[in-house]
Amino acid sequence: MYAFDYQRPSTVNEAAALLANGSGAKLLAGGQTLIPTMKQRLASPPLVVDLRDVAELRGIDRTNDRLVIGAMTTHAQVAESAVVASTIPGLCNVAEGIGDPHVRHRGTIGGSLANNDPAADYPAAVLALAATIYTNKREIAADDFFQGLFTTALEEDEIITRVSFPIPERFGYAKFPNPASRYAMVGVAVAKGPQGVRVAVTGAGQNGVFRATDMEAALTNAFTPDALKGISVDPSLMNSDIHGDANYRAHLVTVMARRAVQAAAA
Amino acid sequence: MTSTGIGVPVRRREDFRFITGSGQYVDDISRPGQVYAYFVRSPHAHAIIKNIDTSAALNAPGVLAVFTGKDLAADKIGGLICGWMIHSKDGTPMRVGPHPALALEKVRYVGDHVAVVIAETLNQAKDAAELVEVDYEVLPAVVDLARAQDPGQPQIHAEAPNNTVFEWHLGDKDAVDAAFAKAAHVTKLELVNNRLIPNAMEPRAAIGEYDRGQDSYTLYTTSQNPHVARLVLSAFIGIAPEHKLRVIAPDVGGGFGSKIFIYAEETVCVWAARKVGRPVKWTAERTEAFLADAHGRDHLTTAELAVDSSGKILALRVKTKANLGAYLSTFASSVPTYLYAPLLSGQYDIPAIYCEVDGVYTNTAPVDAYRGAGRPEATFVVERLVEVAARELGRDPAEFRMQNFVKSFPHQTPVIMTYDAGDYAACMKKALELADYANFPQRKAESERKGLLRGIGFSAYIEACGIAPSRAIGALGAGVGLWESAEVRVNPIGTVEVLTGSHSHGQGHETTFAQLVSHRLGIPIDQISIIHGDTEKVQMGMGTYGSRSGAVGMSAISKALDKVVAKATKIAARCMEVPEDTVDFNDGVFSARGTNKSMTFGEVALQAYVAHKFDSSEIEPGLKESCFYDPTNFTFPSGVHIAEVEIDPETGVTRIDRWTAVDDFGVIINPMIVEGQVHGGIAQGVGQALLERAVYDSSGQLLTASFMDYCMPRADDLPSFNVAMTNTPCPSNPLGIKGCGEAGAIAAPAALINAITNALGHENISMPATPQAVWRAAQASVRKMAAE
Amino acid sequence: MAVNMSGEVILAADRERVWAMLNDPEVLKVCIPGCETFELDGENTFQAVARVKIGPVNARFKGKVTLSDIDAPNSYKISGEGEGGIAGFAKGGATVRLEPAEDGGTRLIYDVEANVGGKIAQLGSRLINSVAKKNADTFFAKFAEAVGGGTVVATNVDEAGTAAGEGS
Repeated sequence: MYAFDYQRPSTVNEAAALLANGSGAKLLAGGQTLIPTMKQRLASPPLVVDLRDVAELRGIDRTNDRLVIGAMTTHAQVAESAVVASTIPGLCNVAEGIGDPHVRHRGTIGGSLANNDPAADYPAAVLALAATIYTNKREIAADDFFQGLFTTALEEDEIITRVSFPIPERFGYAKFPNPASRYAMVGVAVAKGPQGVRVAVTGAGQNGVFRATDMEAALTNAFTPDALKGISVDPSLMNSDIHGDANYRAHLVTVMARRAVQAAAA
Repeated sequence: MTSTGIGVPVRRREDFRFITGSGQYVDDISRPGQVYAYFVRSPHAHAIIKNIDTSAALNAPGVLAVFTGKDLAADKIGGLICGWMIHSKDGTPMRVGPHPALALEKVRYVGDHVAVVIAETLNQAKDAAELVEVDYEVLPAVVDLARAQDPGQPQIHAEAPNNTVFEWHLGDKDAVDAAFAKAAHVTKLELVNNRLIPNAMEPRAAIGEYDRGQDSYTLYTTSQNPHVARLVLSAFIGIAPEHKLRVIAPDVGGGFGSKIFIYAEETVCVWAARKVGRPVKWTAERTEAFLADAHGRDHLTTAELAVDSSGKILALRVKTKANLGAYLSTFASSVPTYLYAPLLSGQYDIPAIYCEVDGVYTNTAPVDAYRGAGRPEATFVVERLVEVAARELGRDPAEFRMQNFVKSFPHQTPVIMTYDAGDYAACMKKALELADYANFPQRKAESERKGLLRGIGFSAYIEACGIAPSRAIGALGAGVGLWESAEVRVNPIGTVEVLTGSHSHGQGHETTFAQLVSHRLGIPIDQISIIHGDTEKVQMGMGTYGSRSGAVGMSAISKALDKVVAKATKIAARCMEVPEDTVDFNDGVFSARGTNKSMTFGEVALQAYVAHKFDSSEIEPGLKESCFYDPTNFTFPSGVHIAEVEIDPETGVTRIDRWTAVDDFGVIINPMIVEGQVHGGIAQGVGQALLERAVYDSSGQLLTASFMDYCMPRADDLPSFNVAMTNTPCPSNPLGIKGCGEAGAIAAPAALINAITNALGHENISMPATPQAVWRAAQASVRKMAAE
Repeated sequence: MAVNMSGEVILAADRERVWAMLNDPEVLKVCIPGCETFELDGENTFQAVARVKIGPVNARFKGKVTLSDIDAPNSYKISGEGEGGIAGFAKGGATVRLEPAEDGGTRLIYDVEANVGGKIAQLGSRLINSVAKKNADTFFAKFAEAVGGGTVVATNVDEAGTAAGEGS
């Protein structure tokens, strides 16, 4: 690791001030990607702003027809939350399938979304559920938030504060984990709710999370696994690596989508 | 018999310190004034080093020194060695290129050692390492083992034309050709034994230290065999004479073979300690371990089995290319030759066997022994062939195996080995019963109803461990003997210290060795300590590998204990004033037959040291005995593993539903530890068959250099194992012990691939059977099923 | 790790103009993702520095870019080699062909072979294809913008170039 300065503000405003003026600072929101990258010397931020003490970024609440999760809520907290279980139970499954116990007790929803790893689980859930990402500056619809591989709508000095999910009628997530890293090789989230049917795919695409619109149309007609028969994504848009080539990933997208619908119906 | 004697599942004494964080591993040790080494490694698989500019690094803060291969050469520090000479078919010795600890004119794999920076802190060393400027002329790399020997390929070492180290063979070619000519059936397979990266939990580490006053060195290192490390560093590399070099291998967190070898890093640390006048410490980062620890396996094999019309196996023909990597590691040449081909008879009576092995250089990390070392590769060849032959002949694979099993002992195979004892059919029958083989068809039908493919696969392995006797091994090219030493020191109050050359790095020797002593001397286990891993404390020893610690190391202790008991009996007789031949020793008590006289072991020990009651011109005072034990033969553990899998054809995911292991390890000291060894071995074998593979790209970049991409087996990849034992004692050592440490890793891959191919209905899958590979193969099966 | 890509872009400018821009260091500098400097260093060679940001990874590559096989205004080969310090290295080349297209536009056809090594290959192989494609798409989108408009017709990552199970 290269030397860096470290700050632990207690409010979002203090944190934002530390990010301002092109300081090159990085937010630490669990650090499950940032810290290993820094240890490999592949990142060398001059300043790390640790959000762990920012109380306003924590908490899980239900308000009317929405579930609101604070940005610094860990995956383990989401997985174990009675509020989440009673509103969007499938989201508990998403959280408890992320990484390993260590990752789940450190990693946070805000950190995961801001990083937007193309194989992360949360982006698929957030996109399928048509969640709204609140920051210290504005609110961003999930459809606008994810902009490709590790790219989001966030500005340099913008901090995710919470994520607000409309409560769907149905939601399910099915993941085919990379056997080694347990990131999603293919993860498909399916939601049926106020925004209609939405299908979001992570892990598979060349450019990060995406919506499978053909599948959405089919499931709008009939929300059953069989409705997806014969519908597949274009392999030429899928990622390929030593674990799985594009054709295999394309195939798995359909399989996982069917299983996600099954999970949503359960 | 004590409650801590032979056969008792005593809980591992060492675990308390390991699981409470009180172990002392090399990285836990800090020496006064220590500084840190960081290695500059090649990012290229094959390149000429045109220039190394260390000036900026030397001027960086905290830097004491930057060394390159030229500095080692100037001090006449020799290269790393390979300690087993193999001769090719034509009688010529193997062709070995030099292996400098720091590269000289060329780098030959990604991770090869180019320079070392030594600085006050690790971070300073890393900072400075970034300032070392190496001017490389990148050369094309040789990565594909299948083509590495082709004319026109780049040459890795001038000494080894066509990148060929040796073209070795074993067996009778003419007899095999004749048998094939009259065979009713021939089964032929092309097999890949995938390259594995060992990944012990503790990465390698070293601290070198130099004492100017004594002109002597100390090396703390993660070694399975500290005495061998000292011997090599002294006699071949030239650090210092043995009496001026102390090697300490304290707690070591797993080895699996990868810590047998003498590597560049510890060589450089101990040498540099004198150069900079400070202790020099290095601990591998995980990616360094992936890049530069010796890898395992990596064979390409064509194998054929000849069978007559009655189903009797007539002959076996094997041609293997073995990837040895860019340099020959310490025992690299022995693994695909004498640890491989002599095992090709398996549990079978095969009249003729011929095996050819080419040892090949490539621009990849050196390949050497890894859990099983040659024997898993041999078992994979034999057990895949036998299984496929049975299927092709429409025979039940269990019954076909039993027809061909060796049934009388001793049995001389056509490939060196004399099997001393075993009952292979007993193992198989027990395994069939435990696996509920009879009801497999019902289970398969049930899986099919769920849309899943179920398969069952066998592996009837043989293992040869406790390699011996030394004289025979020397005749095969070994540079060392493979005996083991022990010293039993009885203290005056009757507690016992055992000094053993068998290093423990996860095997539980501190428990099992103490159980042997407890059993023999009738004293509680807490009065016994097992000391190993320090060349200044322990007499010369050969170390732990190849499942030899029980059969060889404990036999040495047993022999030393014989001497202790004999001497103690003499002393007891003098003390009790009875004739020696009337003294019995049982459960820790010496008693004089026909009298009521008796002495405890502790009382006799005290008398041995006070020496008041015997004539010390006749009996030397003290009670300390030692032994150098060389077995008369290998030991041959064997067993049958049966794997049962369920495959989801939609995703290609293989779930292991059942695993039955029936092993014959002879006499067992601690059944719990033995079971643990079997579990660990199976896990590693499952890793090889399903999950693990080192992937180099065509330019020699290692794409699996972290756990993000290299998949180790985890608890949720494994079923609960059904483990049982049979017991035919080994006649070749005094304890009747066979080895158990490698059995699981030897048996498992073939069992699993046989199960998967059984489920798929065709043989077209190689290791690792990743979900993608199985999915592809399952699609073919599903199409075939639909067509039928 | 090797990546092979090929693709086509239709550009809204004639071949001479596209050719001129393909040879203009200032244009290339603007189009190469993360490029910080791109300076003429000799005949058809340039010194370049590019910052590569992939998620949290932030590495600066310094190296040399060479134009060769020049057949104005039809085709050239652009090759480069960059050292990324601790991150490793990247090298590669692209053959670029220009053909007249409908409406006075130009069809640009390219074939890329790139190789990365060191830490980025050791730790990031899962991302290399995607990052390469993204960089190619970004480059041609910016280039199209620079020449006054255009569309990326196709960008294909060649599976064979990154065959799973390469080596052994």
